[in-house]
Amino acid sequence: MRGGRLLRMLAALGLTSAAVAATGTPAAAAPQPMGRCTSTSGAVLAVDFSHWGGPVLRSCGTTPTTGYELLNQGGWSTTGTGHDGPAFICRIGYSGFQRGRQYPTPAQDDCVLTPPASAYWSYWHADPGARDWTYSQLGAMLYKPKPGSVDLWIFGGTDIQGTEGRPKVTPDQLRAHNTRPQGDAGKPASTHKAPTLPPDADTGPAPERRTPPPSKTVSPQQKQGPRTSEKPKAPKPSKSPTGKPSTPAPAASRTGTRVVNAEPAADAEHDAGSLLPVATGAGLVVLIGGAAGYVAYRRRRAG
Amino acid sequence: MSAVARTTVAAAPPATVPGAGGRRLPRTLHPVAWWVWALALATAVSRTANPLLLFLVLAVLGYVVTARRTEAPWARGFKYYLYLALTVVAIRVVFRAVFATGITPHDHFLFSLPHLPTPDWYAGIRIGGPVSLEALLSSATDGLRLACMMCCIGAANTLANPKRALRVLPGALYELGVAVTVAISVAPQLVQSVQRVARAKRLRAARAHGTKALRGIVVPVLEDALERSLRLAAAMDSRGYGRAGTATRRSRRVTGALMLLGMCGLCAGAYGLLDATAPAFLGLPAMSAGAALCVAGLRLGGRRVTRTRYRPDPWSLPEWAVAGSGVLSAVLLFANLGYDPAQLNPSFYPLTWPGLPLVPTAAILLAGTAGSVAPPPTPAPAPAFARRATTP
Repeated sequence: MRGGRLLRMLAALGLTSAAVAATGTPAAAAPQPMGRCTSTSGAVLAVDFSHWGGPVLRSCGTTPTTGYELLNQGGWSTTGTGHDGPAFICRIGYSGFQRGRQYPTPAQDDCVLTPPASAYWSYWHADPGARDWTYSQLGAMLYKPKPGSVDLWIFGGTDIQGTEGRPKVTPDQLRAHNTRPQGDAGKPASTHKAPTLPPDADTGPAPERRTPPPSKTVSPQQKQGPRTSEKPKAPKPSKSPTGKPSTPAPAASRTGTRVVNAEPAADAEHDAGSLLPVATGAGLVVLIGGAAGYVAYRRRRAG
Repeated sequence: MSAVARTTVAAAPPATVPGAGGRRLPRTLHPVAWWVWALALATAVSRTANPLLLFLVLAVLGYVVTARRTEAPWARGFKYYLYLALTVVAIRVVFRAVFATGITPHDHFLFSLPHLPTPDWYAGIRIGGPVSLEALLSSATDGLRLACMMCCIGAANTLANPKRALRVLPGALYELGVAVTVAISVAPQLVQSVQRVARAKRLRAARAHGTKALRGIVVPVLEDALERSLRLAAAMDSRGYGRAGTATRRSRRVTGALMLLGMCGLCAGAYGLLDATAPAFLGLPAMSAGAALCVAGLRLGGRRVTRTRYRPDPWSLPEWAVAGSGVLSAVLLFANLGYDPAQLNPSFYPLTWPGLPLVPTAAILLAGTAGSVAPPPTPAPAPAFARRATTP
């Protein structure tokens, strides 16, 4: 009785708070072809599948967005863990890579508990102009990539000192280098929009307001061809003590880090499964429960 | 002569052939068999987060407990384990709702809790906010898994006689076992004592409510407990409890040192196995060295205690069958043979009906056969056949 009233009060409280709370502006994040990202606009998402023999896939999304939204649009999809919810990225898949299979596979990690620190998707950022990666201090749902930044997900282990498990590619290999959007500039970029968030959805701290510099002041280094990074380049060890600007060396390639552009694709179809197993399971439970009830009844009558 | 032969023929089949309409002789199963069965089932449960399989495990536990529990005080507690399980699920769901784990645009929005803003340096933790159906369902399943494991332990506690279970301890731990037996029989004895005093008060038409009435119950109960423990101590003393026997001081010291070192080794081994960054020698080597030291200490300590056993519990076919059915179900759930491992841990993001993989279902039903394989603990409720068999 009291519990019911408490529940009703809680529900009423929740509803009023939902009504009162200012609804945030609906996120207008959208997937884009890679050419639409420039050095000052759009956020580049890169996922390293080299652990499973794949390339580093690179795609582009509009800002403002969250790291989670970047990973769940245009054919990308993630799975959380049963323990932590969808905010903990346990599996990542892209519909254009291995037919949308998500990695690590269920045989490698069941994604029930938080994965171990020796084998998980670690999250790295490179702000515009940054030459090295920084380990994300926020989760994918809370972090808001800045325009012109790069988000990288790599699978493996890291340690607390930050000496192990750093990315082998440099931000410059993945960054968009063109100064203005390429390709289908005229038409709207894509129709694969993320649905609007529910009211009062917490999307984390606001992104830093950054005034985009006028395109005249772009440094000559950024004026390379639009797709230079498509060719394999020498991955520069990011732990270089002298932070020299990475000069792109088109020769001297190293195997293992292929960068491939992942164009926006339709999301994989979701199959809601069949009701038959649930009915069978419920029938079995009722059957065994009934047997237990019958045994208890006979015992009570006899005793 | 012929009469003797006739009675043995008439009495023998019910004891050995459980199938042919006969009833087996009631006896309690070896407690270790129940514990092996329950722990194996708990291990199997730890492998899956499929709500269908978890509910099936709960149903199987309920059936086996109702069919094979005794009427002893400890055998009536299974429903309290079920309440505890319900509490675990509720706590898990509430925590998941309060410490929001984020909502995605594809989720089914249910309601929103007031959001407590946290400063930027604490942005990793969110309190309150929107709650989705998916979050509640997955947290309830997660809680249900823990609840199922607790119910497995509860079933073992209900089915196995704790006093007889302590008998299988090695001789060196005999004194510890006696202490534990005394400790676990305190609560039922207190309850009995309170009931007796309350009944006596009612018979004398004394006041049944208020602080005075409470004092009238507490004081006699405490007096009763003190008297009982003094009697127990005298009885244990007269039976030679705590005597050092023929052990010399040196052998006792060696035993103590072996046990201490062995325990340290076990602790270090557990730490090394769980922490991936620990040095390699801390893992299995330390674990096995610790176990060896412990076994040596127990052997050495057990040598000075000679105990005879009155009516030892037999370990025969039903014991093998019960323990084996539990172990086999755990093995089947860990073997990953004949089914998709993803079906053991279905995801609720996006909402999907869970599947019912065939092999794990069969494994859990196999564990449920313990309810009929084990001998009945009390005489059968239908006495017709028994009467015919015993009175020829």
